[in-house]
Amino acid sequence: MVKSERLEEHVEPTPSSAWLVGLAAWFLPGSGHLMMRKWGRAALMGGVIWLSFFIGLAMGGHMFDLTTGQGSSVLLQVPPMIANLGSGVLYIVCWLLGYGFADDPVQAARATYEYGNTFLLIAGLLNYLTMLDAFDIAAGRHS
Amino acid sequence: MRHFLVMCLFAALAAVVFGAMAKDTPRERWLYGLKVFAEFIVIGLALGWILYFIPW
Repeated sequence: MVKSERLEEHVEPTPSSAWLVGLAAWFLPGSGHLMMRKWGRAALMGGVIWLSFFIGLAMGGHMFDLTTGQGSSVLLQVPPMIANLGSGVLYIVCWLLGYGFADDPVQAARATYEYGNTFLLIAGLLNYLTMLDAFDIAAGRHS
Repeated sequence: MRHFLVMCLFAALAAVVFGAMAKDTPRERWLYGLKVFAEFIVIGLALGWILYFIPW
């Protein structure tokens, strides 16, 4: 028996509930841990993401989508858009309402504009980490 | 001063998530979170001073 075959014997299938928890954790930050009754983690990690997102908006930051390129390639908008998409429903609601996507010179002149962008990006990226943490816990790979 | 406080806030938020998910015991999490926070601040300040002396 080769080594890879022996390793395959120990791989346990991922329970379908773990995928559901992961999806919920992405869609509503903190909800993945809430589903597993990890109250402290949900409050800490979810709270940080919500806080970071709203601080970013309050600072005048803007989120990225495929239509906000200022004369540059649309492809350049994709990486920050993926980061923003990590915020889940927060991004989707803002996108539907058209709020937080303005990128005009008046807004860009605010001293906190770039900070706001950074906080919005980091909210999404941290939620990806939170989602993976929730998925790992649900799959039994992490406590 | 305000820029520094915003950087501290950013570092604190990131450190909370990193610390919460990285280690096993509460003590290890606290220590790791503090370490991440300190690293963000030190590296941020160092990069700030390096960029200050670079004549763009």
